Order: sequence, then C-alpha cells, then structure tokens
Amino acid sequence: MNLTRIRLVSLVALVCAFIPALVHGQGLISKQSFGEKNEIILKFSAEVNKAQAANVSNYSVIEEQDPDIRLELASAVPNYSGDGVTLHFKQPLNTAKTHVVTVSNLSGDVKTVVKVSKPYLGYLFSILISALLINNFVFTKYLGLCVFFGTSKRKTTAKGMGVVFTLVMVASAMMSWFFFNFILIPYNLNFLEIVVFIGLVSLTVQAVDTILRKVNPILFNSFGVYLVLVIANCVIIAVPLMMANNKFNLFETFMLALGAGGGFLLALYLMSSVSERMQFAKIPPTFKGLPIAFIVAGQFAMAFLGFSGLQIF
Amino acid sequence: MKNIITIIIRLTLSCLLAAFVMGIFFVMTSKAKKHNEHVNEEKVMYSLLGYKVGAPVPETVKLYAVYRYIVTDPAGKSIGYLVPTGQGAETGFSFIILDLDGKLIEQKPVTVTADDAAEAESRDKAIKAALGAGKEAVYADDKTIIVTDNGARTAYLLSGKFAGFKASISVMLALKTDFGIRGLAIVEHEEDPGLGAEIEKGYFKNQFIGKSFATLKTLDVVKEPLPDAYAKAMEGVKGEDGGKILEQYKDHAIYALTGATISSRAVTNGVKGTVAKFAYRINILDNVLKEQHIVVPF
Amino acid sequence: MANDKSSMQLVANGILKENPIFRLALSMCPAVGISTTVMNGFMLGVAVLFVQVCSSLTISMVKKVIHPRIRIPTYTLTIATWVTVIDMVLAAYMPEAYAKMGIFVKLIVAFAIITMRLEMFACKEPVGASFWDGLGMGLGFMIGMMTIGLVRELLGSGAILGYDVLGFKPLLFFILPSAGFFVVGLMMAFFNYIELYYKRKKGFKS
Repeated sequence: MNLTRIRLVSLVALVCAFIPALVHGQGLISKQSFGEKNEIILKFSAEVNKAQAANVSNYSVIEEQDPDIRLELASAVPNYSGDGVTLHFKQPLNTAKTHVVTVSNLSGDVKTVVKVSKPYLGYLFSILISALLINNFVFTKYLGLCVFFGTSKRKTTAKGMGVVFTLVMVASAMMSWFFFNFILIPYNLNFLEIVVFIGLVSLTVQAVDTILRKVNPILFNSFGVYLVLVIANCVIIAVPLMMANNKFNLFETFMLALGAGGGFLLALYLMSSVSERMQFAKIPPTFKGLPIAFIVAGQFAMAFLGFSGLQIF
Repeated sequence: MKNIITIIIRLTLSCLLAAFVMGIFFVMTSKAKKHNEHVNEEKVMYSLLGYKVGAPVPETVKLYAVYRYIVTDPAGKSIGYLVPTGQGAETGFSFIILDLDGKLIEQKPVTVTADDAAEAESRDKAIKAALGAGKEAVYADDKTIIVTDNGARTAYLLSGKFAGFKASISVMLALKTDFGIRGLAIVEHEEDPGLGAEIEKGYFKNQFIGKSFATLKTLDVVKEPLPDAYAKAMEGVKGEDGGKILEQYKDHAIYALTGATISSRAVTNGVKGTVAKFAYRINILDNVLKEQHIVVPF
Repeated sequence: MANDKSSMQLVANGILKENPIFRLALSMCPAVGISTTVMNGFMLGVAVLFVQVCSSLTISMVKKVIHPRIRIPTYTLTIATWVTVIDMVLAAYMPEAYAKMGIFVKLIVAFAIITMRLEMFACKEPVGASFWDGLGMGLGFMIGMMTIGLVRELLGSGAILGYDVLGFKPLLFFILPSAGFFVVGLMMAFFNYIELYYKRKKGFKS
C-alpha cells in the first residue's frame, strides 16, 4: 500500500516535470517538427500562397549554435491543402540540435521565426531510458556492486532497498543540483564537488531517517535498515558527478536520478529472482556464494548490452 | 546542549581544515594542470602535422590561432573572429565582426599579448574591453590553428567535439589547404574497451587520411571486413607497397569497426560536419580579409 | 587485532588473508569496471593506496578528539578530502591515465573498504600500526586489481602493459565490459578451490 503511494507521488512529480515541455510555436506557424532525415515539416495557421510557399528563398534555416551557417535547401513542397510545407535539405539534419527557421514573404512583410527541436519530453524520456536500460548503472557502468551483491538474495529485500535508494537518490541529486549551480559554479569552487556531494548524500540519508522514524514508524521498521547501506553505494555519488560533468538542468537531473534509481531497482529485482531460484540448484562448492552471483551478473550484463544503441526518440 | 555545541564547533573546525588542505592542493595543481594540458595539446598537434616527438620543428613553421565568438547586440547576432594581424615586427590582434551573411560589420583592434590571447579568461576580458558596452561576445568553443611555413599556408588544425556512443568524442583534425584530411587524432572518448574504444587505433582513424574534401562530403560507412593489407599499411607496418595500398583505398568508404558501427558512424559524421563547417567559415573569413585588405600573417 | 602484530604481518594480512577484492569482496565496482589492463589496475590501486594510508593516518592521529557521535561524518570528510587531493594531482600530472579511469577516482569516496578500515582499525590503534594496516589494504587492493587486469589484458588483447607478448588476440571477449563479472567470478572460484584443496589435505593428515 505504501509502495503505491510512493509510486503515485513519483508519477505526479513526473507529470509536473513535463509541463514546461508542452509549449508550441506562435503566429503564422502553428506546428513545426522534424520529418525524415533531411526534412522539416511546417504547419501554417492559415492558408498561404502555394507558389510563395514553394519558393526556397523564402526560408532560411540555421542551427542555433551556428547562426552563420545557412543550411542548404533542396526544395520546399507545399502540401495539397496549402496550409503546410515540407522543407527538403541537401544534407541530413542533425536533429539533436535546435534549428531556427526564418520564414519571410508568406504573410505580408512579417518575418516569422520558429525553433524546431525534438520534443523536449522525448529528450527527457530518453535520459530516463538511457539511465534505466542502456547505461544501467549496475550492468553497464558497474557501479554500486557491493550493495548490489549484498542485498539481492531475496525479492522483498531487493524491492525495499531499490525503493529507498531511488527516493534518497532523487532527493540528494536535486539538492546537489542546487548547490552545484548556485554555490559551486558562481564562486568557482568546483574542486569541492566531491566533499559537497557526499555531504549532501549523508544529510539526505539522515533527514529521511529522522522523518521516516517520526512520520511512519511501520515503514521505517521495514525500510530503515537499508538507509545506512545507501551511503556506501557509489551510484549515489556518481549521479551528481555525472550531472556536474554534463551540466544537466533541473529536469534532466531529475530524470537521470530517477532512471539511475529505477535501474538499480530493476537490477536488484532481476538478480534476486535468480538468486531465489539458485538456492535449489546444485552448485559446485567452489562456486557457492559470490562466484556464482558474479557469473549470473555477467550474463545479465551481456543481455543488457543488447539495449545499446536503442533509440526511441 | 553543550554536547551539540562542541560537536558543531569540532565539525566546523574539521571542515575548515579539510577545505584548507584541498585549497592548497588546488592552487598547487591548477597551474601544472594547465601546463600539462597545453603540452599535451601541442604534442598532438605536432604529431598530426608529421613532426616526431623530440625532433625540432623547423623555425620557418609558425602556428596562428583564430578564435570564433558569437556576438550579441540589440540588433541581433553576429560572428566575431579574433585574428592575429600585421606581418613581421608589427603584429597585433584584431576582432573582426561579420554579419550572418558574411559581410564585415567592423574591425576592432584588441590589445592583448600572444600569451594572454591563448588563455580563455584574459582573452575574453581583452575582447570585452575592445568591444565596449552594448555588445556581448561569447566564445563559441571553436579554435582553429593555421599553420604556415615561410609565410605560406600549409595546413589547418581544428578540434571537434560530437556525440559518440556513450559520451562525447573530442577529436583534433589536420587539414590540407584544400580541406583534404591530413590526420585525425582522437583526443577524448568514453567508448567501450574492445569495441568502440578501437576508434583511437591506427587501423580505424588512419582510414580518414587522404580523403579529399569532395570524397568527404559523401563519405559513407560500410559494414565490411577491413582488408588485411590495408590495415597493415595504416598501422605503419613497413611493406613494399604500403603507399600504393593507401592510394588504392583513398576514396573508399570507411570500414566500420566490428561490433561498434555506431561509434564508427559517429566519428565519420562528426568529422564530416566539422570539416564542412570549417571550410564554409574559413572561406568567408578569407574573402573578407582579402576584400578589406586586412594584413594577416597567415 | 592486537598491538603485538608486527608491521609485516599487518601488510601481509591486507594482501592475503583479508584481501579487499577476493576475500572481503568489497569495492568491487572498479574491479569489474576498469580492470581491462594492468596499467589501469595499477593506477587506481595507487590512488586507493594513497587515500587509504592518508585517511588511516589522519584518523589515527586525531582519534582522541573525534566525538563518537560524529564519527562517520568525520571519516567521510577525511576520505573526501584525500580523494579530492589525489583527484586533482592525477588530473594535473597524469592526464592520460586519469582520462582512462574517468569517474572511478572520484568514486573512491564511496568505497566501503576505506570506511571499514577506519572504523575497525584506525580509530583504535596507534599511528604506526594504522599506517601499516592502510598500506596492506591498499597494496592488497592494488594487487587484486592488477591480477584481474593481467588476466583480462593477456587473454583479451594478448598483451601485458601494452606490449604485445602473444602476437595474437586469444579471446576478445575478456576485454569487453561485461567480461569483468566473469573474470572476477572465476578468479574467486579459483581461490575458493585452492582453499578447499588445502583444507581437504589437512583433513586427511590429522
């Protein structure tokens, strides 16, 4: 029951994180998106002159970081009803970058400027998926192994550990983001990042411990033991460090932390399922305990290699 | 209560002590770090140009750096280049601002020494002083080095950074004056060992050497086994007809690394994009310098 | 852990009897993650050795002033300080090796082995013994990392320390990332086997 509540809270937080992503273009152009590899599709809010819309010289397209380089257009093809146009480029576009399209002469003398980028929502989601599966912290980044092997013997332990870990991870990553962006960077104190991040992690753990003890003693009884283990887990310090390295913004950090925690939970759950089965298997005495666990983890790691190159958005 | 106060005092003291130790080491190492980075960069640059480590570089060879900035003012965006100007004894620096169509807006002399121009912080400060109020210049993280021998251009060195399979890949490229590739060095990457990390091996990165600008525009990646003779020729194993083999594969597509097609493709596309952008910009800059009769040492 | 142990015994204890990687199975992350070559193992080993020895010394020196209630935060602070120091030194003087180890140098701060030694040994024992214990643990970690690195480099790329010794690549699999788990697992099994073998032998004798 408590698990469902936690899930609900994280779902609400997720939705809140996505709201700013739902902002669209303005004026003449109602919708813009990337099409095939070398296409940009524009949708107009009103019908336009087809002959004008097909004129390549009415469009100028640049990448936001390189405003001096105009991308060469091969053709502009208006759609049948005249309220949209597809721009074809000579070279494939780098869809990871934001493109700026300037449209002129289509509605009087007014120039319309719109930015075309992949949906931000999709980008955030790709960070989540990447941390969860493609770059799973346990199986492809090899972090947090001590705790991973220690707590993956039984499913209930695995679940408890995973959930507590995700919560602490998200909270500490958010705090680290604030500290990093508002204290460390402005005062040029980047070299203190390790101390600050590990300090924040300990602080979060202590805070969660105290709050949980007071607010929900039952939950504390079942989950409290895992809190201590969280500090000894390198994933929890790796996430803020990655955030600092990649200069992520708040939403990206949130998704990274959520993905990392979720990935850890997934890894623990998978491993514990196998461990429970292994208790009934005949294992050679030399392989009992950790060695066989390592071999199983290796097989999982190979399976997770299959996710590499996965692209959804 | 007394307990808490002692704890707080002691913790504060130990924090201060720790910060002191870290601060000392930071001051001690930051200079060496900068110096070593600089030495490393130079080593990569000279080896790309074909000068062996340790062998003296001829005195006639000179390197000039051009830095690109994005200038923002109320009218919109424009592009600024910090270029060394003048020839012989009278050398200085100028900040050349071009509009987005490649026309000169203005040229401003910048008072900065060569050493200060190489440092990001002092360079930014000097440019800010030269521009005055109302305009803001942001370094676009784009530095090009123009190599001259006896005053004639022999090569360009440029650095590029693009997304790889896991994290970003930083490369340094040496180009001939006709934008054909002279050399490629992988400076930084985080690809998987045994798979994507092979991009830094000679048999992959040397495939780019000799590709002309025209070939590069349509360069593709193929998933075919790399011919043995070609691999050996690229690794520098002395054979009878190494040069001939290299010549034979000069316009061939890039052979993808086994099990690392995404990394191979990332490097190929990254190199293509970097060279294309550079060629576009240097042509514009050269035109402006010529039209405006700005004397430059390169 | 009494005082009567000689310094050599303390060092040997860290290397053999309580080897952090193979016996205590602590700080496994780098053992799997970046042990693809002997050099990587050596470099990270040096970093851990430095942090372990320095932290052990520091804690042992100030053990009387540490308030028991803020023991763990003090350990964390000490370790983090020394990790920052070695991180900056490596980044400045060995940029190439540092780039290969990536994030793992900074992650030493979360290594269970260092905190454990501080809690179990350095906060009770005198400075000298703590130094030797830290040295033993650091060396044990370094040797463990290098052994794994040796196996993986030799079998994966047919080389040792970057020098081609075999002339061919036996099994590329071994330097692939996921092979780290297999190598560590198999080596642990190997040590278990030796232990069981000797136990059995002893059993027959008595």
